[in-house]
Amino acid sequence: MSVTEYDVVIIGAGVAGLTAGALLAERGFKVALVTQGEPTACLSTGCIDVCSRGSSPLSGIHDLPPEHPYHLVSEKIIRDALNYFQAAMTDMGIPYAGGAEENRFILSALGTLKTSCLVPSTMKEAPQDTKDSVHIITFKGLKDFYPGYIISRRRNTKSSVYDAGVYSTMSIASHFEEKEFFEKFIIWLEKLNIDEDKLAFPAVLGLESASEIVDTVSILIGKPVFEIPTIPPSMPGRRLFNGLKGYFHKKGGTLYWAWPVAGIEKTGKVIEAVTTPSEGRPNSINAKAFILSTGSFVGGGLTATRESIIENVFHLPVHISGPRETWFDSDYFSLNHGIGRAGIIADSTLRPAGSSWENIFVCGGILADTEILKNGCGHGLALATAHAAALSCAEYLSR
Amino acid sequence: MKYEHCIRCTICVENCPVFRVNPEFPGPKQSGPDAQRFRSDRERAEDGWVLLCSQCKRCEMACPCGVEPAQIILNEQQRYGKEHPQTPAHLLFANNYYLSALGSLTAPIANMIASSKMGKKAFRAMGISTYIPFPKFHFRTMRREKKILNRKTRKVAFFYGCFINFYRPDIGRKIVRLLSALNVDVVLPPQWCCGLPALGNGNIALAKHFAQKNASSLSNYIDAGYDIVYTCTSCGLCLMHDYPGILKIPQGKKIAESSYDVHEYIIKLINEGYAKPVFGEVPRKIAYHIPCHLRALEIGYPAAKLMAAIPGLECEILDDACCGLSGSYGFKKENELTAIQMGNRAVSLIKKTKAENIVADCGSCRMQLSGLSGMTALDPAEILCEALDIKDQK
Ligand code: SF4
Ligand code: SF4
Repeated sequence: MSVTEYDVVIIGAGVAGLTAGALLAERGFKVALVTQGEPTACLSTGCIDVCSRGSSPLSGIHDLPPEHPYHLVSEKIIRDALNYFQAAMTDMGIPYAGGAEENRFILSALGTLKTSCLVPSTMKEAPQDTKDSVHIITFKGLKDFYPGYIISRRRNTKSSVYDAGVYSTMSIASHFEEKEFFEKFIIWLEKLNIDEDKLAFPAVLGLESASEIVDTVSILIGKPVFEIPTIPPSMPGRRLFNGLKGYFHKKGGTLYWAWPVAGIEKTGKVIEAVTTPSEGRPNSINAKAFILSTGSFVGGGLTATRESIIENVFHLPVHISGPRETWFDSDYFSLNHGIGRAGIIADSTLRPAGSSWENIFVCGGILADTEILKNGCGHGLALATAHAAALSCAEYLSR
Repeated sequence: MKYEHCIRCTICVENCPVFRVNPEFPGPKQSGPDAQRFRSDRERAEDGWVLLCSQCKRCEMACPCGVEPAQIILNEQQRYGKEHPQTPAHLLFANNYYLSALGSLTAPIANMIASSKMGKKAFRAMGISTYIPFPKFHFRTMRREKKILNRKTRKVAFFYGCFINFYRPDIGRKIVRLLSALNVDVVLPPQWCCGLPALGNGNIALAKHFAQKNASSLSNYIDAGYDIVYTCTSCGLCLMHDYPGILKIPQGKKIAESSYDVHEYIIKLINEGYAKPVFGEVPRKIAYHIPCHLRALEIGYPAAKLMAAIPGLECEILDDACCGLSGSYGFKKENELTAIQMGNRAVSLIKKTKAENIVADCGSCRMQLSGLSGMTALDPAEILCEALDIKDQK
């Protein structure tokens, strides 16, 4: 007998899992979310790429190959999913700019323009072409950001270095939330008398209140200000995770940390519980339905062996491109590695196709044929399929 | 301790509250998996900075690869503790049980000393910080409460822990009454410090000594059909994780199998249809600070689940900040600034919620947060008692 009974257990705390969790919890279902650790979303730029293949995400999705999981979801659900996300994040104090109609650019740490769709408000002023002149402020000793890359690619770009007295992304971000530090910094910044059109920072302007900090700097200096995402530790990725996690809690969901699923309990076509290793009594959680949102390889949803690819929780059948020779292209930087198509094929109810389980729903990066790198569709697909899976799951639970 | 599994994603570093504010500490990735590759049992332990880790376990909860940096650091803390002379503060806090027991017997005098100027000076001289009032010793301890016995089926042995015993026995009594109101027989088994403070101060031998005494006592109760219930999340973590783990206590597994967080236990009673509490209204907004060690227990946030059933109560969950005190960690002078900075961040998040009270399961979290914020900090059990109209008895 387990200590806790839930309607749904969600496995994986990424963008898909937290979103599906919030949606189900707000419909009044009892939701638990179990996770081994923090998701790859924390390592991301925090931007929501919906489909980066063209100037419009929706027409880009339209042009995706027929097997792409986006086609399991209606355009209405995609729009709803993006609106829901924006409303949720605004509620959590982390507003996002952009919309389903149009893609936009952010400036990458290498000086390229990267296509995305919904971007944190701290990046909304990023130049959309090569014209704006930009002044980059960086920080002494910050090891993860080199403005030289950007300067070598963009004309009219300059940089200055501020000595924050601390040298890691986390510590600089914390300091920006302290009044004294901030005031001293602004005095220094005003003295620079910046001529350029826009002011850029590596994304270290605070953790909890980044959007206010960016707005304040912009008002005080009288110029548009934007952040440039850095390699991990990535503050915008962490803000995204914290925001979605907070929203999930707010809706009444329960989070179980350090809870890698190691086993399942089942009868017939129904999964009854998931279990995790424990020093003490068996640690299991019962539920009527399960949502699998463990991501692909880096997220921990899939493991590749020499011959095959395994889905780690339910051992669902994994779709692969073919024998191992087809997994990798000879060009490392190619976007056509077959392994990018590995994952779980879902039917229109987001249940795993080719398995007999009635009460498992799948969403996010673990789906097959996503080719996320090639299509630029990571978080957008997670949001859309999370909505579809949550709807399907809610329908199953209220039969 | 799978340090080879580290993919160097830095997620643990982002979660380390000490790293955030103290540049002296290289963070869980470097102190844990990175440095571990260069450590050998045949060489002296030289990384003194491992002592700056407060053992909050946040790194471990966050790591997506199951690396357990805190466990790697804890082991190194023991090795370092064995090979290097201990500071008076470390010795004192490792032995906090004896200190508190003494304080409890001589409560009026001990309080006077602890709060006097001279006492504070003496504390500082020993390397103990005095920025928040040192807890008040209480005269009547739980051990002197008489057993509450009647003939109902569920029986629990309550592991109340040092904090409740020496500083807040009133909360301990409330928990006993709360369980009794749910038709549970509660006994107070003979018990000692769980051992965590000794472990945190690098004194594994003393930790084992305490753990073994507790294990023998609790084990008798388990054999007699009792479940063990704890309230302090750090005691709980030690019973559940360290007894069968690093301390290698023979009865460890048995104890971990039969021990429950008090709120987890109440939910179990409700789920099994044994108890059907009807909560009255508590019209208030609270900020529920999740103690780091509650997260580490891997049981979700059971008190939040119960409080969600209380009409009128608005509960905002805050699980992103460590209070900074970490038991005795923040009481050490060398950690004082770190602890205050961590605590202030937690307080600023709490203040943002505009809640009336702070709620936290852990006594030292409550002490730190109410000390730094001036707000009242309550145990979730106090909120439940309020909702069930269970009054204090003198
Ligand atoms: S210990 Fe875990 S969280 Fe930390 S860097 Fe390694 S893999 Fe990442
Ligand atoms: S246990 Fe806490 S203080 Fe120690 S390294 Fe991990 S996160 Fe940092």
